[in-house]
This record gives sequence, C-alpha cells and structure tokens, in this order.
Amino acid sequence: MNLSDKPTIPAQVMARKVGDETVILDLAGGTYYGLDPVGARIWQLMGEGKTLGEICDTMLDEYDVTREALQRDVIDLADKLLEQNLISIG
Amino acid sequence: MSIVYSVAPPVPQQPIDQVPFHEWSLPDGTLWSLFFRRATGYLLRFPDFADFNISYDGHEVSAYPVPGVSQQTVDHLYLNQVLPLALGRQGKLVFHASAVEIGSAAVAFMGESGKGKSTLAASFATSGFRFLTDDGLMLEANGSGYQVMPSHPSIRLWLDSKTALIAPDTPTAPALEFTSKSRFLAGESIPFCDTPRPLRRVYFLGDGSTLAVTFQRMKPAAALIDLIKHSFLLDFEEPEMLAAHFDELSSLASLPIYFRLDYPRRYEDLAAVRQAIIEHATHESEPA
Repeated sequence: MNLSDKPTIPAQVMARKVGDETVILDLAGGTYYGLDPVGARIWQLMGEGKTLGEICDTMLDEYDVTREALQRDVIDLADKLLEQNLISIG
Repeated sequence: MSIVYSVAPPVPQQPIDQVPFHEWSLPDGTLWSLFFRRATGYLLRFPDFADFNISYDGHEVSAYPVPGVSQQTVDHLYLNQVLPLALGRQGKLVFHASAVEIGSAAVAFMGESGKGKSTLAASFATSGFRFLTDDGLMLEANGSGYQVMPSHPSIRLWLDSKTALIAPDTPTAPALEFTSKSRFLAGESIPFCDTPRPLRRVYFLGDGSTLAVTFQRMKPAAALIDLIKHSFLLDFEEPEMLAAHFDELSSLASLPIYFRLDYPRRYEDLAAVRQAIIEHATHESEPA
C-alpha cells in the first residue's frame, strides 16, 4: 500500500475499545486483531475516510515521531489489516 | 435457564444433502461434530452417536440418538456440547472453562481441551473447595460484576488425572461410548457448589512449558481476544448476534480480573499450584 491509498472499513468489521487498546473483529470470517493506542488512532482515522498520507499528517501533530518512522508504521499496519480483510482499498 | 430438552426414539442417521457451515474435529483428526443451518434453527450431528436440533432462539433442543447409543452418552453430549451452544443462542455468555469456589467467590480456569481445566477443578474439589463447573462456564451480569452459574455436578478426567486425584471408592457415572475419560459425580469427596458465586478471577492456562508457577496480568484487549476464542458460539456468521456478543465480551474484558497462569504439569506439584492460586486469588490487589 502507499500513502495515496484510502482504506475503507467493511461493514462486517467492527471494533471495540477496551482499556487503552482496541480489538477489531471481522464478523464474517471470525478473525480478530488487537491494536495498541497508536494503532487504534490509525484505525480511527481510517474510519474517518482519510488517505494513509492524511493520517500521517494528522498524527505528526499528535505524536513525537519522525515522518519517516510514522509513514512506515502506518503502511505496515495497513498492509497487515488488508491481508486479514479488516480493511479494503478503493 | 429455560430450555425444553427432549429425546426422540433411536433412529439411524440419514445422509444430509447440505454442506455443513462448521465442523469440529478431535485433536487426532477424527470428525467430531457437523453444524448445519435449518429452516427453524440448527442441526448438530455427532456421527454415529446422535443428531440434535436446536431451535433458532436456543430454547428448544431435541435429541435423535443412533440405535445402540446409551442414554448417558446422549445426555452427556447434550450437557457438554449442545446445551452451552443453545445457551449461547439465547445470548448467554458461555465459555470453555472450569470454576471453583475460593473464599466466597468463583475462580475460573479457561483454556483449550487438554490444558488442565478439569484437573485443576478436580484438584481443588478433592481438597475441599467446591466446584461450580468442569466445563461450559456460564456467566450472568450482576450489578457491577458477573456471577458464575453452577453447571451439572460431575467432573470428567483422563486416566492419569483420575489415578492421581480421585480416591478409589469415589462414585463414577456410567461409562460413555465416545471417550475414555471417567466421569465422577459430585458428593462428599468431590463437593459441588450449587449456588451462583461472584466471579473474582479468570486464569487463562498456559501450555506447561515453565519451571515455576507464574501469573501474568492481562490487558483488556488480550483478555477480550481470549474470551472470544473460548466462547461457545453456534453461528459465527450471524452479524447481529455476534455484534451483541462482542459488546458483552468487551464489558466483561474491562474488568481487572484476567491473568495468564502457567505451571509445570506434574501431579506432585498440584498442592503447591493450588496454594499459589489461592494466595493470588485472595491477596492480589486490584489495580488502580
């Protein structure tokens, strides 16, 4: 995936915040995935319809992190979620 | 719990012209049960033993035994396999877990088959701690917490656990056709707690690859994932019910009561394991 991709969250995928983390569950396939607070923030911004690049722009203001490291983390997470059908593209 | 359970006269199993939506196999690969959706509910087939119809709302279960299969086997399949699924259809929280009473509260042991749930429950019971269930743990919300509902008063054990834990004169239930596990009835030497108890701890059992008894507090997200894994859910493809279940489990996972527990699997160490659990369950302070 790249920074211009705009992930969407399929209707059958839902998330619940528990403590400071978030668990995502795919109701159709029964797969689940745990997100730490940073991952949960990325997920939340995906749900707002932002591209991966826009997600990075937003989070650069919120976290003490370099753009390169943040972009790598955002793309890594998006790849993993896509692989498990927890997001889709296009 | 309100379930109408009936057993029909024995009838040979007929082929089903439908692909099962789910299958359970035993660790050795043997097909154990097949799940089919029907117009009015679900059909669970245990090949060569029995078919069970479960109504869509989980309030009615009908058993159709294969000729020659004992009533005990049919009832046991119902109690251990079918009833928890039917209760799940009613929206109840049911898990693969055993539970015992420590102090005036319930302590649950959750884990896959073979992780030691029944052995731990039997070990506590034979030491004077009443057990609430040896599998099929049902929880009900109760004010700010949950309570463990008593299950049926018997414990199933493999031969090695039986030899190590159970006095030779302890009464057993009639043997079942599908397992070499023995089933022990609650009584003086295996006391049973027949009233609900507040849930104080849930321990997820490790695989025994440790040299000492270890406890590790779990974060709510990890607890939620493990609670999902150990739930009795009949139909994972029904979004509305699953969403409600997910909500309920999320509330449950938010309680500060979850730990990973591991210990060497040696019968001679069980007394020390019990003592460590008792101390942990009764003295471990709640997090801020």
